[in-house]
Amino acid sequence: MSSYGSRSALAVVGAVLRDYLVLAMIAALAAITAMVEPKFMSAANMVNIMRQFGPLIMVSLGMTFVIIGGFIDLSVAGTINLVAVVTISLIQPMGQVPALVTGLAIGAACGALNSAVILSSGALTQAEALFLTFGMSTVYSAFALLYSHGSTMHFWDIKTSKSIFESIGGGTVGPLSVSFAIFLVVLALLWVFQSKTKEGREICLTGGNKTAAALAGVRIKRAIVVIYTIGGFMAAVGAIVLFSRITTAAPVIGAGYETNAILAVVVGGTTLKGGKGSVLRTVMGVLLVILMSNCLNLLGVSTYLQVAVKGAILVFAIWLDNRKQA
Amino acid sequence: MNRTGTGFSLYRMVTKQKAFIFIVVMLVGMLFAGTEFYTAYNLLDMLNSTSILLILSFGVTMTIISGGCDLSIGGILVVSGILAIKLQAVMPMGLAILFAIAFGVAVGFVNGFLVVHQRTEPFIITLGMGLLLTGVAQQLTNAHPVPATNPEFMMIGNGSVLGVPNLVIIMALCFAASFWLMRYTQFGRNLYAIGGDYDVARYSGINVVRTKWLAFVISGGAAGLAGVLLSSKLNTGSAIYGELTALVVNCGVVVGGTSFAGGIGGIPQSALGLLVFGMLDNVMNMLRITSYYQILLKGAVIVAIIWLDCFAQKRRREFV
Repeated sequence: MSSYGSRSALAVVGAVLRDYLVLAMIAALAAITAMVEPKFMSAANMVNIMRQFGPLIMVSLGMTFVIIGGFIDLSVAGTINLVAVVTISLIQPMGQVPALVTGLAIGAACGALNSAVILSSGALTQAEALFLTFGMSTVYSAFALLYSHGSTMHFWDIKTSKSIFESIGGGTVGPLSVSFAIFLVVLALLWVFQSKTKEGREICLTGGNKTAAALAGVRIKRAIVVIYTIGGFMAAVGAIVLFSRITTAAPVIGAGYETNAILAVVVGGTTLKGGKGSVLRTVMGVLLVILMSNCLNLLGVSTYLQVAVKGAILVFAIWLDNRKQA
Repeated sequence: MNRTGTGFSLYRMVTKQKAFIFIVVMLVGMLFAGTEFYTAYNLLDMLNSTSILLILSFGVTMTIISGGCDLSIGGILVVSGILAIKLQAVMPMGLAILFAIAFGVAVGFVNGFLVVHQRTEPFIITLGMGLLLTGVAQQLTNAHPVPATNPEFMMIGNGSVLGVPNLVIIMALCFAASFWLMRYTQFGRNLYAIGGDYDVARYSGINVVRTKWLAFVISGGAAGLAGVLLSSKLNTGSAIYGELTALVVNCGVVVGGTSFAGGIGGIPQSALGLLVFGMLDNVMNMLRITSYYQILLKGAVIVAIIWLDCFAQKRRREFV
């Protein structure tokens, strides 16, 4: 990105625009909606947008590492289902802090299990990982159903204190919502991990070219364990933010998060081929997805059509990503 | 390892014919279970309920053999099913069905353009296409099931000829057609060559783009047909049926032995792979296993068989 160097001004503008297409799209989308619908710029709507940053951004941040590493993770839906029902059910018998820790540990364990399955089978392509993690997702979802007997659990059934989860769901820290503050902290940590640590660089190299990375002495097996564990852990964080906000946990609440997370990561500009990308780009991707549904809501487009628009944007973004490579 | 010994040939058989062995195990197991599994009615019913997935799998097999895959079939399935019912309000039944299948062909054409002509990653682009079509299906139906009113339409999926259900007959015809295409035509042979090595196939003078593109068109058309049959069988069109279908069918094809590496596999293998799922459903129902455990078992079977598939490939290449 720093190699715009000695090209003509117009070429530089073109290159920057190509690299930051998402940012340009966000700006354009915001400008158009603000003109058409004045409610868009209202403080209430801004708070609304900030709230929506919750679960999806957490899952997407984890997915970013998996995709940078050259893999993919469909199991986040199952992980969210499992973590949500287990955590909410443990609040009363164990107290809230142990429940929270257990939930996060289950998420990380699910991710580590995925990596164990992938490593032991020797799956190296994204397609193989796709189907393995799809199978794992089914298994986790089945465990969630078995654990909860298929029933939905509600916050108001919990008699003991649940203040942590209530504040995650609706509390504020100064001008920010708690979930947004958590997001900022997590983003900072992950960004430092990605760009300033050896492990972060190893993930990038693994995604770029596994053979070359292995020959250069990169511990690619370790990198694979790390990316899936982060993916599972972040799915657990997402699950906790999700059920705290909607105050219920059903064993099916994670459905669709896997596709939406992949969508956000790819739209943000992290390439599916692996090796390139950043958590900051994912934030832009999520922002675009959220802004888009916010705009479509304000403009009165039905939720069903929004799914179609999302699909269209995903197809378009991948196509564009591919053209950049060529 | 002794590459000629019985042990090795057994190892190769297990890794190559996982689906077949799984089916044999289930068949033998059911001999002792004392259920009504071995009745003509049950076996035919099992085939009948797997037919639609089988029809889907034949098209998907072609895309996977050519080195791609098709995850948009779930979306095509629901949209064309809904179209077949909705269009009957404005045109005769035959024409509506034709339009629904043509829709599948058109989506397959677009998939082919994006994957083959524009060289995008097939599984993610078709996943996006599936998402797009699910949204379209929800919009078309307002997320409510649409009932069909024409009894003739219902008979397509529920009637039978001489005791054999229509769906099984249509499935058998599709099987024969796609088997012939893959085994005895230039198109089929070229598809294997393309999956084996894209560049070598290109330099040998095969029109790689057109051939691979056609595989996606066929897959879309098969999904369109399957959508019509599903709507007819259930007498409703709804946006929810396709949710997991695409992943299950693609998994089934791989379970059968058609490899994602491309160039390996075939239509009969895919039929076996999908039958594993159909038979597993049937057996689990016969043994009165509750639905949550059924989901668990299915997930475990998917992981186990794909794991074996990857593991067999790892043995064949040098692991970095």
